[in-house]
Amino acid sequence: MISTNALTKRFGTQIAVDALSLEIPGGQIVGFLGPNGAGKSTTLKMLTGMLEPTSGSATICGFDLTRESIEVKKRVGFVPDSGAVFESLSGLEYLTMVAALYGIPEESAVERIKQFITFFDLGFDTLTDKLLGAYSKGMRRKVVITAALLHNPPVVFFDEPLDGLDANAAVGFKALIQTLAHEGKTIVYSSHILDVVERVCDRIIIIDKGKLLLDGKPDELVAQHNSGTLEKLFTHLTGGDELERRAEDFAKTFRK
Amino acid sequence: MSGQRNFLDRLMSKSSTGVVTPEQALRRLYLTLFLRGRSARGIKLGSSPTSIGRKLATVLSFYALFGLFSLSFIHQKVFLVATFAHAMTFVFLGLFVATTAGEVLFNKEEGDILLHRPIQPRVLLWAKVSVIVRVSLWLAGAFNLVAFLVGATASDGSWMFVPAHALSTALEALFTASTVVLVYQLCLRWLGREKLDTFMTATQVIGSVLLVLSGQLVPQLMIRNTGTSFVSVNHWWIGFLPPAWFAGFDDALAGSHAMASWGLAILGLAVTGVVVWLAFTQLADSYQSGLQSVAESSTSKPSRTRRNSIVALTRIPPLSWWLRDSVSRASFVLTAAYLLRDRDVKLRVYPGLAPMLIMPVITMLPGRNGGMSTGAFGVAFAGCYVGLVPLLALGMLEFSQQWQASDVFRLAPMKGPAPLAHGARRAVLFLLAFPLLCVFAAMALAFGRNASELILLLPGIIALPIFAMIPCLNGGGIPFSRPTDEGKAAGRNFKSIGVMFSSAILAGIAAFAYKASWFNFFLAGEATVVAVAYFAMRASVTNAHWKPIE
Repeated sequence: MISTNALTKRFGTQIAVDALSLEIPGGQIVGFLGPNGAGKSTTLKMLTGMLEPTSGSATICGFDLTRESIEVKKRVGFVPDSGAVFESLSGLEYLTMVAALYGIPEESAVERIKQFITFFDLGFDTLTDKLLGAYSKGMRRKVVITAALLHNPPVVFFDEPLDGLDANAAVGFKALIQTLAHEGKTIVYSSHILDVVERVCDRIIIIDKGKLLLDGKPDELVAQHNSGTLEKLFTHLTGGDELERRAEDFAKTFRK
Repeated sequence: MSGQRNFLDRLMSKSSTGVVTPEQALRRLYLTLFLRGRSARGIKLGSSPTSIGRKLATVLSFYALFGLFSLSFIHQKVFLVATFAHAMTFVFLGLFVATTAGEVLFNKEEGDILLHRPIQPRVLLWAKVSVIVRVSLWLAGAFNLVAFLVGATASDGSWMFVPAHALSTALEALFTASTVVLVYQLCLRWLGREKLDTFMTATQVIGSVLLVLSGQLVPQLMIRNTGTSFVSVNHWWIGFLPPAWFAGFDDALAGSHAMASWGLAILGLAVTGVVVWLAFTQLADSYQSGLQSVAESSTSKPSRTRRNSIVALTRIPPLSWWLRDSVSRASFVLTAAYLLRDRDVKLRVYPGLAPMLIMPVITMLPGRNGGMSTGAFGVAFAGCYVGLVPLLALGMLEFSQQWQASDVFRLAPMKGPAPLAHGARRAVLFLLAFPLLCVFAAMALAFGRNASELILLLPGIIALPIFAMIPCLNGGGIPFSRPTDEGKAAGRNFKSIGVMFSSAILAGIAAFAYKASWFNFFLAGEATVVAVAYFAMRASVTNAHWKPIE
């Protein structure tokens, strides 16, 4: 489903993603991890056609990312971490607009939207009466997730999808992505909430400074490194070993 | 949440009839965004259409009202009427397009919403431009309502003027929008993403200021020269003026039918064709990379010197005395930084203040054959204009694309926004009003006014604290705390015009007092009124509480 070969992105002299090569088959939920500034969002933006790679190549569902970007985009859903929406549209207006961009007829789109809002426990009135600017962060996130799945894409990228969702919605969302994976969809899930990633994902990819550090099944990786938990493995790999001491030092500054 | 299995498959089972095409969806989207603005907090959908319709109708009415200037050309030649109408239309549309296009064409937040959707860059570009052109045509249509009548009844006119002028105005709108798009595309090619933002800002600000200035000058020049040969199809240089191409179109079809007019019309058609072709075919494919570039980076880093200089300024007297309160000082630095760095703010503030420059300059200019000079009135008028700078600027500085960041003000332990408003007010006075005052004083001397007449600047200076305090009343004047609203861009020009008239009244009274030798009494009276009003207003501002977010 997703294949990258030495995918690289440079911003001036800074290398954000450094020759990343991956193979992700269909039906897999892949946790895409890394510390802040590791290049996760840049990678996701390249794979969704939002950013042009500086070098290297990638294919999604067999379509070349740079040469057949429209075909790639038709097959990809993306939930960006910004959760950006057009705030002066109502939820329904926004979602029907997104549906139209994928060629989904308005009637079908409204039917699909109704299914999603039932799933997310949103009222249809909310979707029609309020502009998105007035939505809570969680409600807005639900709309963004709906917009990403509306065209039934075979590949879905989630960048911090749980941000703002309440506990029930988060539980439902985790069940949803597992269901989608069982149906053959490829899910790439980028998050800093490691215990969720550990429970949901079949495979973990950890990058830092744009480079691939680890790739494998979560339990196998934890066992291989004798780290006990994914969190400990992650902090060990990404230079977070001294976090407790640094926290203690920081706390001392308040005692002065 | 049961029944998730095959849930998306069920969703996909609908037939695919009645599809709204991506082109239609995007056009609808951008028109809605234009009419409603891009940001909304706590707004219910049901309440927005009425206010939008009313706002738009008001703006269009103002344009139609301003179009009454065309009556100055009644029974003149078609070419003269059309040149005036097209020149003013060009100014209005240029101003509108320059101030809105940057935001519409290269919106940073849009990248996360649209760039991963299957949309061709050309389709996205066309959707945006079609909305810009459509709104431009509304504005142009409103302004030209009277011009249609004046042109049709011109000395060499006919009913054909109406369709001819409608067509040429549409062409002019297309030319204006395409030119702006072309400039952006070329900037992307030649300058790259690092310099794009800076260049866009500079181009838009300078372009907008020049357009506003020419908007003031064109009617002045043309009305003063009506009946002369100033505007003639036979001048060699007329072909360099875009409005003359479209006026030539009108004249060729519905006026003198002169060969020179046909030449201008063909030139206009050819240039518009080339610009449209370049902007929407040759360079359209680079539009997506342009959008990506804008989304990739923030604005270029301000130099360390400039960053430090703003803060350093607040540490040395007299500013350090004036900004003793830490919140006011922080607000001063914030406002100053945005006035110097932020594209959105610069585009709103500087073109909005541009009319401040031209009208006092015109009134201070020495007249030809001694006939045009407005003497004492000119200097007093300039002084009053300075007083109006903070009134307008503070109003404009309330808006920002980063308005949501202003939540931090509400979180701070302050009972109301007064210290923030005071900081912003002082930044505007220090960075905009005082330099402008110095410029006007220098101009007055340069134009041969007697140094003693500089005292006529005082009525404006005395009124400064009042003008600057007005936007801060009732919890207002909080910098960058409200969402920008593109729909208001067109209306802002008319706020400036309203301001011009009111300042003329104060200047008129001051000049009359100066000539009648009771200027000192006038100043004393004004100072007393201002002092009382200032302290009352200051108390009101200090006691104001936060406005509800909605």
